[in-house]
Amino acid sequence: MGLIKHSEKLRISAGIATVASLLLAFDVAFSAMAPAHLAFPLDERAPGEFPDAWIHGSKSAMDNDDPAVQVHAYNEHTYILRENKAINYEGAFMYLFFGNEVAMLIDQGSTSSPALFPLREVVDEIIDGWEERNGQEDIELIVANSHLHGDHYAAWNQFVDRPNTVMVGLTHEEVMAFWGIDNYPQQIVNFNLGGRELVVTGTPGHQGSELAIYDGWTDLLYTGDMFYRGRLYLEDWDAWVASIRKLRSIADQNPVVHLVNNHIEMTAKSGVDYPVGTTWQPSEPPMQMTLEMLDQAVEASFEIEEPGIYTYDDFLIYNQVPWSYTTDP
Amino acid sequence: MKLKKVICGLFLLFTTSIAQAHLLNMTNLHLDTTNPDAVTLRVKIDLGQSLLSPQDYWRTVNMGSREQWVNIEPAVNKLLDGLGIFVNGVAVAANLETWSLVATSLEAIENPLSPQMAELTFNLNNLGLESSTALANASIELRIAEWLEVPWPALLRIDSASRQLPVSRLLTSSDRSSRSVPLSADSAIAGSSFAAKLAMEFQGWIPGLSWVAIGFQHIIPWGLDHIVFVLGLFFLSTRLSTLFYQVSCFTVAHSLSLGLATLGMVSVPASIVEPLIAASIIFIAVDNLCSPVLSRWRFVVVTLFGLLHGLGFASALSELLLPAENFYTALLMFNLGVEAGQIAVLALAFAAVGWLRSWTAYTERVARPATVTIAGVGTYWLLKRVIF
Ligand SMILES: [Zn+2]
Repeated sequence: MGLIKHSEKLRISAGIATVASLLLAFDVAFSAMAPAHLAFPLDERAPGEFPDAWIHGSKSAMDNDDPAVQVHAYNEHTYILRENKAINYEGAFMYLFFGNEVAMLIDQGSTSSPALFPLREVVDEIIDGWEERNGQEDIELIVANSHLHGDHYAAWNQFVDRPNTVMVGLTHEEVMAFWGIDNYPQQIVNFNLGGRELVVTGTPGHQGSELAIYDGWTDLLYTGDMFYRGRLYLEDWDAWVASIRKLRSIADQNPVVHLVNNHIEMTAKSGVDYPVGTTWQPSEPPMQMTLEMLDQAVEASFEIEEPGIYTYDDFLIYNQVPWSYTTDP
Repeated sequence: MKLKKVICGLFLLFTTSIAQAHLLNMTNLHLDTTNPDAVTLRVKIDLGQSLLSPQDYWRTVNMGSREQWVNIEPAVNKLLDGLGIFVNGVAVAANLETWSLVATSLEAIENPLSPQMAELTFNLNNLGLESSTALANASIELRIAEWLEVPWPALLRIDSASRQLPVSRLLTSSDRSSRSVPLSADSAIAGSSFAAKLAMEFQGWIPGLSWVAIGFQHIIPWGLDHIVFVLGLFFLSTRLSTLFYQVSCFTVAHSLSLGLATLGMVSVPASIVEPLIAASIIFIAVDNLCSPVLSRWRFVVVTLFGLLHGLGFASALSELLLPAENFYTALLMFNLGVEAGQIAVLALAFAAVGWLRSWTAYTERVARPATVTIAGVGTYWLLKRVIF
């Protein structure tokens, strides 16, 4: 190193320092210009709101002029969608969770036809608006499902040709591979949705591929079709017992503000449901449920021993009873 | 809590919703090609709500199997007529092998909300293919004719031996084709970048070539720090032999450490390797500026840095899944791709400034400013990787 002069050394050092500091300056300027990285902290609860009442169908499907899909922003990064009950009586709820550079659509309703039920269009519109407000572009969409029943993936095909989209798939194996669950249903996995930590676990009982999702940012616990205000059709009682108690233990270990789910079938009157196939539900209770209701379900899991229909204030348990039987003639 | 009795026979409640209620009884199609000698299609369908009347279905359920066949044969034939199965675009025939009809009561069958699913298993013995490899490379399409109405949507599941996971397709009354589904394996790299997809295409006819492409990508465009390092070697002197010896040491060393790290024999965290790679760039550049002749210990240094860069490749490679069955081939191919990328960098450098090497002012006007820039870039990376 002694081969060069002192002044030369200085010149070289100055050159190196100039290049490095220019690059650093560019870097700092660029990251200042880049869209802000959204944070989804777990320690404080992100607030959200439900509508006073959901759009709940109409007396006659002919003169229903409500939107095919009701869009409700629970908060700026959490959307709850509902299929118009006049299009399909299931009136299924769907969820759209946003993280950095990614959104996840859970469930795709009960109607396939884009003309009757333009779910893709609605979701694209929500994503466009979200991208604009949050300074993000071309975010990825994950198309996932709470469970594998036809009334929750009918519009799945509307997304298969969508660019920048991950289709989780409609077989048990594809679903579990996507979430990284290799010991269903026991395993509890953490799923990072663009910085938003989700806790996901198997909750069979209603259907053998069902999942529950806990969102630590909003403290919402999503229970799909295995626990909602309505007829809980259970094909596998023992599996459901284990699932509902596991939800209770997840709620013991994590703060839960509401339990959210897929349908409303109860009336405002305790223990009374709307008949199967109802397309107008003028006095619907809220969709979200409380931890007290979860406790009641856990209690039921100890009480019930035989197949049959069991009535509780906020839900009915159809333990291994065929789908069709209704309680209200 | 009160226990209600199960009430039967209340099925005429539904008026407007019946037409849309065909959801719980949607059709399931399962095409299983995992055994090339016994390819089957299993159809789960609400026969009593589609191809048979509820009364006919209920009568049939309660018959012996020979009479059952007489009763369901027309419906099965209609289903076969309307269900097109195409292997590489050519229609193939299916034969009913077994069936099982399920129903709890006529009322249950009549109620569209209570699916009473019959299961029909067809064999597809004559696919018109010569070998099981031909099947693995085939693509398959399932189509439901416009005139055939089944309870919609119809979920198609395809299993094949060379795919880890099944494929799902949804067929609806307005979207009646699964489109062509290749039965060949989808690897871990499918669906990522365009380049990776291209590599997948290549893999079809030259196995292993895709790993060459992936290795190449780890130099151009993803391996910017390796590019800069190789350029640092390039700007040391105008003599080709000098460059050749350095690049050889570098290559042998990084192949060695890449192999060892990938086999799990060496493991150094990226938080250490990455700043050290940046430091190696600064070192090489500063050494170029201070002692422009190839000293002996320069070989030692370049070899050590080669080991370091190999660890960097290994951590990038660990994010991909090397196939278990031809692990060594894939590793070798990946490494060859890295070398090809390195040669490409040098070729580009020659094309850009190599022809100026005989110019008297080359060192002063080209090599030195370039080397100072390289040292600056290295310093920037070092700061960034250590501090930020
Ligand atoms: Zn369901």
